[in-house]
Amino acid sequence: MLKIAQDILSKIPSSVSYADVRIVEQESEDVATKDGVVEALESSQSLGYNVRILKNGVWSFAASYDMSEKGVDETIKKALAIVKASATHKTSNVQLDELEPIVDSYKTPIKEDPFKVPMSEKIKILLAADKAQKVSDKIAVTQASYQANRERKYFVSSIGSKIDQDIVWTGAGTDTTAVDGPELQNRSYPNSFRGQNQTRGFELVRELELEKHAPKYAQEAVELLTADTCPTGEFDIILDGNQLALQIHESCGHAVELDRVLGYEASYAGTSFLTTEKLFNFQYGSDIVNLTADATIPGGLGTFGYDDEGVPAQRTYLVKEGKFQDYITSRDTVRKLHEINNQYTKRSNGTVRASSWSRLPMIRMTNINLEPGGEEGTGKGWKLDELIADTKYGIFMSTNRSWSIDDKRYNFQFGTEIAWEIKDGKRGRMLKNPTYQGITPAFWNSCDAICGRDEWTVWGTPNCGKGQPGQVMYTGHGASPARFKKVKVGVVKW
Amino acid sequence: MIGEEKLKQIAEKALSFSKAEQTEVLLSVSGNALTRFANNQIHQNVAWKNLGISARVVLLNKKTRQNSDSGGQVGVASTNAFDDASLKDVIARATELANLQEPDPGFVSLPKPQKIIKVTDDIHHATEEEMAAGADVVIKKAMKENLIASGAYANDVSEIAVANSLGVWAHHAGSSCNLSTIVLGKDSSGFAADVARTPDEVDSELVAETAVQKALESKNPQDIEPGEYEVILEPQAVSEMMAFFQWYGPNARIYHEGASPLSDKMGSQVFGKNITIIDDPFHKDVFPMPFDFEGQPKKAITFIKNGVLQNIAYDSYHALKYHHQNTGHALPAPNTMGPIPLHMYIAAGDMTRDAMIKNVKRGLLVTRLWYVRVLNPKMLNVTGMTRDATFLIENGKIVRPVKNLRFNQSIPKALNNVVGIENKLTPLASFEGEMISLAPTLHISKWEFSSATLF
Repeated sequence: MLKIAQDILSKIPSSVSYADVRIVEQESEDVATKDGVVEALESSQSLGYNVRILKNGVWSFAASYDMSEKGVDETIKKALAIVKASATHKTSNVQLDELEPIVDSYKTPIKEDPFKVPMSEKIKILLAADKAQKVSDKIAVTQASYQANRERKYFVSSIGSKIDQDIVWTGAGTDTTAVDGPELQNRSYPNSFRGQNQTRGFELVRELELEKHAPKYAQEAVELLTADTCPTGEFDIILDGNQLALQIHESCGHAVELDRVLGYEASYAGTSFLTTEKLFNFQYGSDIVNLTADATIPGGLGTFGYDDEGVPAQRTYLVKEGKFQDYITSRDTVRKLHEINNQYTKRSNGTVRASSWSRLPMIRMTNINLEPGGEEGTGKGWKLDELIADTKYGIFMSTNRSWSIDDKRYNFQFGTEIAWEIKDGKRGRMLKNPTYQGITPAFWNSCDAICGRDEWTVWGTPNCGKGQPGQVMYTGHGASPARFKKVKVGVVKW
Repeated sequence: MIGEEKLKQIAEKALSFSKAEQTEVLLSVSGNALTRFANNQIHQNVAWKNLGISARVVLLNKKTRQNSDSGGQVGVASTNAFDDASLKDVIARATELANLQEPDPGFVSLPKPQKIIKVTDDIHHATEEEMAAGADVVIKKAMKENLIASGAYANDVSEIAVANSLGVWAHHAGSSCNLSTIVLGKDSSGFAADVARTPDEVDSELVAETAVQKALESKNPQDIEPGEYEVILEPQAVSEMMAFFQWYGPNARIYHEGASPLSDKMGSQVFGKNITIIDDPFHKDVFPMPFDFEGQPKKAITFIKNGVLQNIAYDSYHALKYHHQNTGHALPAPNTMGPIPLHMYIAAGDMTRDAMIKNVKRGLLVTRLWYVRVLNPKMLNVTGMTRDATFLIENGKIVRPVKNLRFNQSIPKALNNVVGIENKLTPLASFEGEMISLAPTLHISKWEFSSATLF
């Protein structure tokens, strides 16, 4: 395929400033059970390519499934026509930052190829997990799901890069719904919205032991039906890792996307409060808050070898000891940043990805992480039990149920599936319908304790939406439970 | 585009490769382009074309269960190639999956052919120059007022066909042009959009004028205390509110699971008497869609009449399972979301927008909502933010722009507190234009804002 990509690249006129070609083969499997029946059993494949051209200071992008000679000629012709249309309305020229050519291969390290595990075994695992949720006649819906994806990417560019990658990610989980009259409650394992997802093989599904864990979570869904409602007030809260992962995603990950900051996403997802004058001097969080973008973490859902511009995967500090340090960047946006802030001299930190061959690569989160406690600059590495014991009164919240944030990433509100009241250092009564709300910098500045690496997990968020046309990307978030002081809790009238 | 005749041949060939009792193929062909602008210039300009075939293979009564010998084993596979080898492979993969399935007792049969109203194919390609020109109109108008324009001009052309081994054949081709913009000031923003069948019908001037005007009028927004307010929701905001009702409301799957706010309320007064909710795929202002993704005919259906629940949406699976007539609301298989209406709207009332504003004692005019998410599907309460120009109304007059607020609001409660409905419906597209809905402006007497943001 690299040869085919190279052949396509060779057809692009040499008058362009830059060009790259990406061929992508995607393969996926989805199995979903509901109430003891396999509701979805699907196998999907897609193959196509795109050409991305920079000419006369403007970008163009054309993509097609048609890899015949005629099809390729039409695609290139379309891309050149687009350049012409865009160039008549430009006010500045796109410039690309330096990049050395790279010739390399990358393959996700997996122990057990999910596509080679018999489908009958996958169905058996899910049906057992589905059945295990039937712990009460209050259980209205039982669900289990499994998904596996493989992307083979072949990238060549006019600077001489030739990169092929074989990226595999897998996920699974359970979701139980309990209903009693007007009351409805959910519990999922190990996380909501299709469980845990990582760039790993079927070994992840086996480690999750869905059938073993499902009854406990189903029972919690039943207990939530009669639990007390989460109280309203300003309380200390401890967020479990799976909830903190989404908090990081929404209030940090999107806020540090440099394309948003520069206004390129204003027409859809919005902009960001982390404007360029805040770089290096804004107190984003308390001094134990260290946030990184790290595409090199083994198993992280946002882990890869090279981004879709051919930039190597990297680890970057976004926030160090509370201070805002960096954005996630691309080759063109980083050049803009050099112009805006001459103190900033870094290269692209390699975060550009596209959701398929038919989509334009853009800045996407890799693995955006809250570094665990107990390491340099992160304070004490707490155990969750110690953290609870250290809390006079608070609410411990787990597993996301709802999320929403404004278009500059200031005002957020999250709901979780479950919470427990903490009184005098002890975890007490279960609470239903927990919600909390805050303003991003104030919230992160209230963080006073983070659990250590033993309780740190890279959670997968496979459903991150961005861009026009829309793209759904898979991203990761390393997090351990952490405590935040005086947060508005119970903000919804039920 | 490939055309009905050729697509039918491809579908028949794919079906001939299947030895299963029942087989369905869903074919799609698409050509898309999107010109995106930001900071007053085009920064992303893309075009792509694709095709696809999804095969649903059904094995009936292959396996028997202890207490049941009925049910179907269903497997679905898809690919994006139409050559013989790919067609054979997609059928083989779907068959292999179906063979591994346990029978679903709820599955009775794929649907049989029904008479489908033929709608003339209506395809219009927008050129790169036309789309760039549309963007240019907005950019120039924004620059004249020292504002910054961002937005997108999308042109989507698609062809869909469904065939099954029981004789279903349905084909339709259509297209849309959609220009949307957000114009930004230093501390303000304005949104506007237009959607039409042809590039000539897209009113770029009106889109530019509306968004620029909103951005100018929303300058210097003031703080406002969250709390309960009367609201005037403009059509975009109404559409964003109703998106989740569309999903969790009249959906047979969720209804019968007991998880819908409408569950067990058929024939009951669920909303105010002034609320009528209709799904009409042939409304003059929507892009017509004569059939669903199982090739079953669509028709106008009233879900709520004068506040009373009268119907919900079914596909073939749920219609057969719950012994109800199929209403033609299937999504592509495998569908774990249930049947969802795609042309739903609140019927127009008898008031003008200006008259509704005059009736507000103290309330907020909301241009649109943002990041709306469900807090609890059974109660259908949602959270979200206001966005792109929010104004305080006092004694029937718009008095000043205000900073954005977060709301936590029950949709059923809102639809029980509607005190004014605009006398016209505005066509609205999703951001990519592939769907179109209609909405009136609504005056709602109580809307719960819970917190404020900083802009």
